[in-house]
Amino acid sequence: MRNQQATQLLFELSRPGRRAARMPACDVPKADLGELLPEQHRAKRPLPLPELAEPDIVRHFTNLSTLNMSVDTHFYPLGSCTMKYNPKRNERLASLAGIAGLHPYQPDATVQGMLQLLYELERMLGEIAGLEAVSLQPAAGAHGELTALMVAAAYFRELGQQRTKVLVPDSAHGTNPASAAMAGFDVVTVKSTATGYVDQADLVDKLDEHVAVFMITNPSTLGMFERRIGPIAEAVHAKGGLIYLDGANMNAILGITRPGDFGADMMHYNPHKTFSGPHGGGGPGAGPIAVTAALAPYLPGPRIYRDEDGAFSLVDAGPRSIGRVRSFFGNVGVLVRAYCYILTHGPDGLRQIAENAVLNANYVLSQLKDVVDVPQGERCMHEFVASAARLKAEKGVSAMDVAKRLLDFGFHAPTVYFPLIVPEALMIEPTETESKETLDEFVAALRQVLDEQVDTLKEAPHTTMCSRPNEVQAARQPVVSWS
Amino acid sequence: MPYFFNTPEDRRAMLDAIGVARVDDLFDDIPAEIKLQRPLEVPPALSEVELERHMKQLSARNTAASESLCFLGGGSYDHFVPAVVDHIASRGEYYTSYTPYQAEASQGNLQVFFEYQTLISELTGLDVANSSLYDGGSAACEAVLMALASQPKRRRVVVAGSVHPEYREIIETYLINLDAELVTVSALDGGVSGDELAAAIDVETACVLVQQPNFFGALEDVDEIARQTHEAGAALIVAVDPISLGLLKRPGDYGADIVVAEGQSLGIPMQYGGPYLGIMACRETFIRKMPGRITGATVDRSGGRCFVLTLQTREQHIRRQKATSNICTNQGLMALRAAVYLAAMGPQGMRETAELCLQKSRYAADRLTENDRFELAFDRRTFKEFVVRDRQGRVTSLLDEAARQGVFAGVALGRWYPELDDCFLVAVTEKRTKADIDRWAECLANSEVGASAVHA
Amino acid sequence: MKPDELQFATTHEWVHVDEVDGGRVATVGISAFAVEALTDLVFIDLPEVGRNLDAGEAFGEIESVKAVSDLYAPAAGEVVEVNSAVVDDLDQLKSDPFGGGWLVKIRLADDADLGHLLDYAAYQKQCAEESH
Repeated sequence: MRNQQATQLLFELSRPGRRAARMPACDVPKADLGELLPEQHRAKRPLPLPELAEPDIVRHFTNLSTLNMSVDTHFYPLGSCTMKYNPKRNERLASLAGIAGLHPYQPDATVQGMLQLLYELERMLGEIAGLEAVSLQPAAGAHGELTALMVAAAYFRELGQQRTKVLVPDSAHGTNPASAAMAGFDVVTVKSTATGYVDQADLVDKLDEHVAVFMITNPSTLGMFERRIGPIAEAVHAKGGLIYLDGANMNAILGITRPGDFGADMMHYNPHKTFSGPHGGGGPGAGPIAVTAALAPYLPGPRIYRDEDGAFSLVDAGPRSIGRVRSFFGNVGVLVRAYCYILTHGPDGLRQIAENAVLNANYVLSQLKDVVDVPQGERCMHEFVASAARLKAEKGVSAMDVAKRLLDFGFHAPTVYFPLIVPEALMIEPTETESKETLDEFVAALRQVLDEQVDTLKEAPHTTMCSRPNEVQAARQPVVSWS
Repeated sequence: MPYFFNTPEDRRAMLDAIGVARVDDLFDDIPAEIKLQRPLEVPPALSEVELERHMKQLSARNTAASESLCFLGGGSYDHFVPAVVDHIASRGEYYTSYTPYQAEASQGNLQVFFEYQTLISELTGLDVANSSLYDGGSAACEAVLMALASQPKRRRVVVAGSVHPEYREIIETYLINLDAELVTVSALDGGVSGDELAAAIDVETACVLVQQPNFFGALEDVDEIARQTHEAGAALIVAVDPISLGLLKRPGDYGADIVVAEGQSLGIPMQYGGPYLGIMACRETFIRKMPGRITGATVDRSGGRCFVLTLQTREQHIRRQKATSNICTNQGLMALRAAVYLAAMGPQGMRETAELCLQKSRYAADRLTENDRFELAFDRRTFKEFVVRDRQGRVTSLLDEAARQGVFAGVALGRWYPELDDCFLVAVTEKRTKADIDRWAECLANSEVGASAVHA
Repeated sequence: MKPDELQFATTHEWVHVDEVDGGRVATVGISAFAVEALTDLVFIDLPEVGRNLDAGEAFGEIESVKAVSDLYAPAAGEVVEVNSAVVDDLDQLKSDPFGGGWLVKIRLADDADLGHLLDYAAYQKQCAEESH
């Protein structure tokens, strides 16, 4: 039974004179407002905000929430996003007053437990990466990419080398080239093979002494491990360049192999994915980076220092640091959840994350390969990319149509149209926190969808509050606020 | 492990279906020589009971400002968070969902973002807001990049020295790799001087960034700054404290072209610095250069109102290296908190909160400076923060000693402004009572080295 | 104009050259094939009058909901007129791509070379190959 009560906009629900919050009376001697604030600075009228009673607000936002699919309510195989279960203990522990109630400028002596936690998390992320130094400051994966590329720029500047280019595979996430451009580099695209590996000949062709960094996602955005990562890293290093590992897909290799061991000089983590910080409807995430010892002096500051007596302090990062990329320490709330997640799993558990994620993805692939094309072949890591190109050619049904119809079956859609190199891509990532029964139900639903009448698919979804929003109208005449 | 399902039987059945003997076989693509031949060296797994004990031990080694007397500010504040904010934000339908790529499965989030954008537009007095950025500091930096992109021939960025020093550091970090010049105008007497600013702005200037109230809590002459900025054809970027807008003129009403803010004050816990909320709003002319996600209203197949992510061609997943920014998230859950907070406060609650901050900070300033040891560093109008000079110049020991007594008395300024190493920044929110303020003032006045100076 | 009276760039712009006041002025638009391929157009960004373009320089952008394409100058010259009617009514690009949907007029530089442009038959052949 869908309750649409109070789902109008807040501004439509507003009635003059209603209010939810009432502030206490002023208990200090009141000075004349005109004396404290000259008229030049004062607003002439009250803020034009909605006026609502508290029950209104609760019903509004609660009923709106039911219009979302979420990991707590649905299977969410959104490829490349690692929509795994978000443990409730982490929410409780991150809300402890001694964690959530800390001000970022408290004296170090009053935040020893927090600094210890962050210091230990740095060590854990360094160990999992096989790299020496970690900065927890970046606020998201893309922010981590940008920070690491700034580190690379500073490193080459100090070496006196004019390296202007960053190489990015055409299968890469769009943040890779966008981050490279923001760090002042020219972007050169490297081709991929049809099965999702780096085109070695094209890479070698484009490698020269002006290449600062080769950014690689491994496992790739097609969910394939780059078998020739060793020789690739060697070739890049031979020209004096650095390897950047986009850690978006770390879920597949936790405890199995480490970026530092296969040649990466720097990488970012997506703790909201790999370590289950919740996705929060789009964020917050975090984007810690790990780098080799040679690059450590360039990391942003402040850094956490532990003295001989085990006391922790925040210290300046030193003159070679790139400086800050974010205010305060970073997205600590997300990092605390990552810390709890790692401690819950321990060494064996982390490895089992990778094993179960890869097992689940391969199982789904095995159950679908006879009805959809999977250009990359019969195996994958934690995710795979199916192509609806044949369906499109034969029946005119697109990947988007399939995705929309799956919503009617109570499954969130896979990622569609990414990576760009696979036509009509459907990218499926089940994660390790799903059961065989759920996977079987999803497979059955998808198989049924592929068999359905074209019209049923074209007009899907049929069971959601809205269906096929007019995106052209939204982009031609943007309406981005209520009036 | 508590979050896995696969029993040995499940595994067997799944491996058989795949056609391999062992899970290890699924990792055959990874060359043996790069496989990790030992367990990761991370601590052993903890049960929930053990984890909770461990976290409580760590937590107990911290003193939470929120549970003490907190007069700390500088961009993060101990404002009141209504229970309704925590209640809504703890719903799994919100916090365990993701980016609304499938609009039909995300109308809850999309409508929240649309409402958030509307609330921010109304709060700032500007035409459009995005669905949020990381934090106030990186939002200020993105605003600078947006202004540069809007006038590609102008490469100069003028920033007031009274803007949050960490925001300025971020801008410096970003601009060093780009073709642009950063000019900082000093703010020696607690604010930017009109003459110095005028001298720094020229025809090469793309934008001027000021903060209102500024980092020292003081009000800048924004009308005059807007006039000077626009006369040179540059864009005015203003960083604001959203709480102050319960009383202060909205930046859109005095000519700001882009407004950014740290949204932490709007219902977000301090949590040692993040996650917070980067607010950005601007005039409509900038919309196609705006970074981050934007939510728009449209109609669906049957003509009903619904919401979608829009103007996506600005973004990295389509425009790649030519995107307006590399940002590919918004702080969705934090934007939700801010939307619930603003809905709960309404115009009256915002006004009352702002006025309490103003009155209480004035009382605190008066109360502390009854003691000869302390004076206000600047002769400027302030909102909820102000700068105190310790005539004995022993700021660090003074603040550390207060902290030991459970009073977080202020933020020392010397680390950012060496010339102000005898000064500290004090923030007073609506949560502080008269008794709190009296205790704070007495704690500072009775500080060991200051006791003899008491004359009140 | 009929397409077989026009010349085409491999990047899908069409060109028609007129003699005006002793100089050459090129009217530039984009082909029906390109408009079709871009699907529903939502925005077009055109240059200001007076801007000097090099041959092959991007002078504007055209956007659909999920794609962006650059518009390239077929030859060097100065922008002398911009079709603002198209900016306000993108549907003209679909209904009349080779007429009312023109985008800019460029006064060609004296040495501007149009030799690389294709005739309609050759352009159609290219389009047929791209569709595969």
